[in-house]
Amino acid sequence: MPPVVRFAVRRLGRAVLTLWFASTVTFLLLRLLPGNPALAVESPNMTVQARNILLHQYGLDQPLLTQYGKYLWQLLHGNLGVSFTQQVPVSSVLLARLPWTLLLTGSSLLLTIAVGIPLGVLAATRPHRVLDRLVQVFGVGVQSLFVPTVGIFLLFVFGLQLHWLPIGGAYTPGVYGGAWYVSVLSHLVLPCVSLMLVQLGSYALTLRATLIESLGEDYTVLANAKGLPRSKVVWKHALRNALLPTTTLVGLNLGYLVGGAVLTETVFAYPGVGRGIYEAVTQLDYPVLQGAFVLLAATVVLVNMLTDLAYGVLDPRVRTA
Amino acid sequence: MSVGALDSVTTEAPTAARATWSAFRRNPLGMISLVVLALIVLVAIFAPLVVSEPQGYGGAVLRAPSGSHIFGTDNLGRDIFAEVVWGTRISVLVAAASSALAIVIGVLVAVLGAYFPKADTVIGTIVDLCLSLPVLPLMILVTALAGTSLLTEILIIAFFSWPEVARVVRSQALSAVRLPYMDAARLTGGSSTWIIRKHLLPAVAPVVIVSVALTSSRAVLTAASLAFLGLGGVTNWSWGRILFESEQSGAMSSAWWTTLFPSLAMLVLVVSATLISITYNDARNPRSRED
Repeated sequence: MPPVVRFAVRRLGRAVLTLWFASTVTFLLLRLLPGNPALAVESPNMTVQARNILLHQYGLDQPLLTQYGKYLWQLLHGNLGVSFTQQVPVSSVLLARLPWTLLLTGSSLLLTIAVGIPLGVLAATRPHRVLDRLVQVFGVGVQSLFVPTVGIFLLFVFGLQLHWLPIGGAYTPGVYGGAWYVSVLSHLVLPCVSLMLVQLGSYALTLRATLIESLGEDYTVLANAKGLPRSKVVWKHALRNALLPTTTLVGLNLGYLVGGAVLTETVFAYPGVGRGIYEAVTQLDYPVLQGAFVLLAATVVLVNMLTDLAYGVLDPRVRTA
Repeated sequence: MSVGALDSVTTEAPTAARATWSAFRRNPLGMISLVVLALIVLVAIFAPLVVSEPQGYGGAVLRAPSGSHIFGTDNLGRDIFAEVVWGTRISVLVAAASSALAIVIGVLVAVLGAYFPKADTVIGTIVDLCLSLPVLPLMILVTALAGTSLLTEILIIAFFSWPEVARVVRSQALSAVRLPYMDAARLTGGSSTWIIRKHLLPAVAPVVIVSVALTSSRAVLTAASLAFLGLGGVTNWSWGRILFESEQSGAMSSAWWTTLFPSLAMLVLVVSATLISITYNDARNPRSRED
């Protein structure tokens, strides 16, 4: 088997393992916690008979192992149960919301990289000087921010005080064609920028550290000695090698990004999965909460695997790692 | 190192700690952060002496900061300064308790894994799996099911924070286990518990100190996130709950002070914890130390 294929197969195996782990943890937590779903579906003034019918309907009267098998089987078929409050399949509730979350997280990730890399380069090429210190202070500062705080303040300043941008939702209802796309874009700006700000610190600081290191490597010295222009040495030679730790950061931060999206969508009433979680919390709609976690976990695992595979193809060192 | 190698363990530890401390003291940023953090903890402990518990549905609703209410009042006329001060109690308590628990579990798992290679494959895989999942949605699900008491909140945050601790400590422990002095300790016939306690734990101690700072500040933000989503309980004041109530009542769109001050409290706490860990890391490393 060529190494690329072996790497891909191993990576796929890990993705499947992660998904199995995520769904099993969810199953066990739901069954073993004090407030188990049987208590969640029953109400105190139910008759014993009604309670038993309900438990049977949800399969909660069967042995744990049977329940587990059925649960996995249903998951494999994309069946995440039925929403308590809306009486429709959880999967259809959530899949309608998923594109908004993907749009928000994806655009904020791209924006973070587009801003974070120049910021890191700016700092690394002037180590321990004023500009570098400023980037470091900024990086630590934004890393320490509470996600909703950023959203609330952007909303307050640019939405409510200056009226530059809409304060909530994902689009203007009743608008079609080109205007609809414009409204989607204008609704996206504030949540996207909030999510970018809270991620920016770790990207800029990581890139700064690795770039300072690769600027001290022999090949950079050689490139300088050859008389290459400074910008070419930094952007073409040193940066390329410094990018790998930064791209692994994408994978490490995906979980945090999703958590941030839940909070940001809540602040901006953005109709994604995260806002769905918030609404399900207020209504104690457990199937939606469970489905949202499984769906988000699957998305994270899939994206993680795809980025890893892309880098395995691009960088031969990754394949052997 | 001219004295017996056995003595060096006992004599070197205090001097290394002293060198770190004296380097730490010379960094004004680190010292200021330490003082700020100490102040926050003091406010948390002595909150009742600072200001009385926020209550009284006064007529002064949504008043901007002024002499009588320095942080202003919320939609029910409660003093936000009192809410922030009393919120410090719960926020600090949750951070301290849950990070302590997460550190104990994480260090134990990491050290046992590093010391017993057979267990390490399983532990390493579990830690990796936990870290690759979106934790907040899972915590939301669990909190919604288990209820919002203070104890369950602490347990849940700890339960989802230890893998991060284990990851950091494990990599340090794995490199320490390979060092010659560990073989020497094994050759002297010492028991595993003795070697782990006397040799492995001190080797990972610096990493543990850094993760205490990071885990506890992350716990503050996690607790606030849960509270902001309405999973914080309404019996105690916390910084997240002030934000949640501001969002729920719609006060956040007109009264900036209802969100600014709890947010600032969180920012100050997290920044000082981060700066302390950065300063400590620099002070501990003889190469970055300017002595």
